[in-house]
Amino acid sequence: MKPEDNTYSICVGPVHPALKEPVKLNMQIDGEKVTGVDFELSQVHRGIEWAATRRNPIQVLFLAERICGICNMSHMISFSRAVESIGGIEVPPRAHYIRVIGAELERIHSHILWAGVAAHELGFDSLMHYTWKLRENVLDTVEYITGNRITKGLITIGGVRHDIPKKKFPRIIDTAHFYSSHFDKMADMFLKDRVIMSRTRDVGVLSKRDALTTCAVGPTARASGVKKDVRKDEAYAAYQDLDVEPVLPDAYTGEIHGDVYDRVLVRLLEVKQSAEIIERAVRQMPEGPIAWEEKPAALLAKLKPLAGDGIGRHEAPRGEVIHYVRMTGEEHPYAWKVRAPTYNNMMAWVPLLMNEQIADIPVIAASIDPCMSCTNRAVKAGTNDVIYSKEHLHRLSVQKTRELRRKMK
Amino acid sequence: MNAESVLKGFRKEFGSKIKDITIQKVPNSLKKKLFAERIWFSVGRKHLHSAVEYLCRTYPDPHFAVCSGYDTGKEIELLYHFTVNYGVRAGEITITMRVMLPKNDLQTDTITDLIPGAIISEREMQEMLGIKVKDIPDSRRLFLDDTFPRGVFPWRKDETGPDKIARNVHAARKGGMK
Amino acid sequence: MKAKALNRSLWVFHVNTGSCNGCDIEIVAAMTPRYDLERFGIKLVGSPRHADVLLVTGPVTRDMKKKLKLIYDQTPDPKVVMSVGNCGNSTGVFYESYNIEGPIDRIVPVDIYVAGCPPRPEAIIDGVVKAWKKLEEMKKK
Repeated sequence: MKPEDNTYSICVGPVHPALKEPVKLNMQIDGEKVTGVDFELSQVHRGIEWAATRRNPIQVLFLAERICGICNMSHMISFSRAVESIGGIEVPPRAHYIRVIGAELERIHSHILWAGVAAHELGFDSLMHYTWKLRENVLDTVEYITGNRITKGLITIGGVRHDIPKKKFPRIIDTAHFYSSHFDKMADMFLKDRVIMSRTRDVGVLSKRDALTTCAVGPTARASGVKKDVRKDEAYAAYQDLDVEPVLPDAYTGEIHGDVYDRVLVRLLEVKQSAEIIERAVRQMPEGPIAWEEKPAALLAKLKPLAGDGIGRHEAPRGEVIHYVRMTGEEHPYAWKVRAPTYNNMMAWVPLLMNEQIADIPVIAASIDPCMSCTNRAVKAGTNDVIYSKEHLHRLSVQKTRELRRKMK
Repeated sequence: MNAESVLKGFRKEFGSKIKDITIQKVPNSLKKKLFAERIWFSVGRKHLHSAVEYLCRTYPDPHFAVCSGYDTGKEIELLYHFTVNYGVRAGEITITMRVMLPKNDLQTDTITDLIPGAIISEREMQEMLGIKVKDIPDSRRLFLDDTFPRGVFPWRKDETGPDKIARNVHAARKGGMK
Repeated sequence: MKAKALNRSLWVFHVNTGSCNGCDIEIVAAMTPRYDLERFGIKLVGSPRHADVLLVTGPVTRDMKKKLKLIYDQTPDPKVVMSVGNCGNSTGVFYESYNIEGPIDRIVPVDIYVAGCPPRPEAIIDGVVKAWKKLEEMKKK
């Protein structure tokens, strides 16, 4: 029998309850096996890049913040760095440190959020609630520093908008300690649990070769053994004083599989690493001004004559963010291109999902930590015979976990 | 490896085929003075494929970041952003190749045979700028849905741009966009 | 049928129509232990056909307009629609675009507006309580 005779398509999304974002994946299925993957990305396209060419750089900064609610600061930093490189603007050292503290707090919150989603996809809802409870600590600290839980508004072109006074240091260090001390417990629950292990070990494998050819970035690439981390490669901001090393899974287990387990592992290790970076950044933070120009109106006047091309890069929780900006000496940027990490990592879905089981789709799809609003855009389905809702898939996934757990008892 | 040595290789291989070369250094105020280097140059569209091929040959597995593009009026400019030498502290070099396409012949060659991950960018260029990528393995729309009007290209600044379908929510309430 | 719909706890269906995720993660935060909406029996469900309340976030992109209408029609009466976040209320920073059809109240009737970018979980809980009251009133009629 020809393979197309007994394959059917299943559709995931666009509205599904687990990932909170519209996404549409189309998969060809042969029995239980995935034999073809396709995606379409149009649900979250808001035309941000076009809107930016009608606004001034400071307005664009806050537009950039609203590209993504989870890694909002990463986009602000990238856009600022792009404009700074056009104008040769020097950011004061203290601002570099505040940026790093903000960015690492964001990484902790994003990775823990993701760990919760992964637990939910596996059917461990109690673990999801536990991780989200842990996450509230970092959100409180973010609110303590910036005044808001999610959108921080901390960055401006040439520096930061708020200082972190000395009296706020102890609380930040407490948060860093909180996450360092909870690492062992998290590792116990996520990495040593036999059921999670059997659901994630050697599931959704991305080989190093595939990671390189699909241009994967961030934890997805690092879990496959690609030593790529903008924090080290560009050594920008205060990261050059802090000597950040990319986290690879072999640091913990001694081997690299490139599977879902490794991607969980890399993210958990990065939470610990971020906590250490924050503590060192707070202790080493130099005195001095916090911005190249603090007054927005004066800053705008200084930015207006800038002309040229600039690239701004930053290691967001999900991987490299890159912004390209062209200024032509007018009030508005002439062109702006945003490349979020999921844009690259999505290509990895094809090798990841191939030949895997239907019940593993949710956890594999989630394992690259897809962020659709970042990518501006989501994944589509033909409708041949059977359409499974995302909920049905999630149920299948939960069922598989329960069966495994029964067998292990 | 630094920006100079990378450029030297390109000059040797391509001579006058690459133009408008600039090296940009990102300013840095910290003590260590490590900085990232960015190389920008233009290459004719006939030579784009061989330039990328040279890049892949000389620096195995260059990271293809993204392709940006914009409308300059008479031409469309595409910018292919690559990074090489990652994994070395402050050693990563960003290489940007500019390609100019005249508006009466908006065609370019695919680079997906060299870097498969470039497919998303190439599909995006096709729908956002209305260019034609020759031999692209998959030419469907990606970021725009099927109901989006044909012949409108969001990043263009001429009559095919999105201005006629754009809407200002607040202006619309008062009666039409100005 | 109308009266029976409220004999149990409020079930909520969440639709993202192109939001930036900020509101969406705060909605989940409202469900998880710190704020714990679930202690009132309020929970997120996987299908609009089971829902009493539609939580809608985002400025409504071109692609999502039809899908939002479909989801609205699939939700059984009596129902309350909550617009969460400034994008949904007024399209927020995305007020000018070629791909946005919002705000939400131009597509489907909205009963409760929750302001904020993103709203705090407390604000979302407050909105859900208001939705509850509104459903009670609907039931009386």
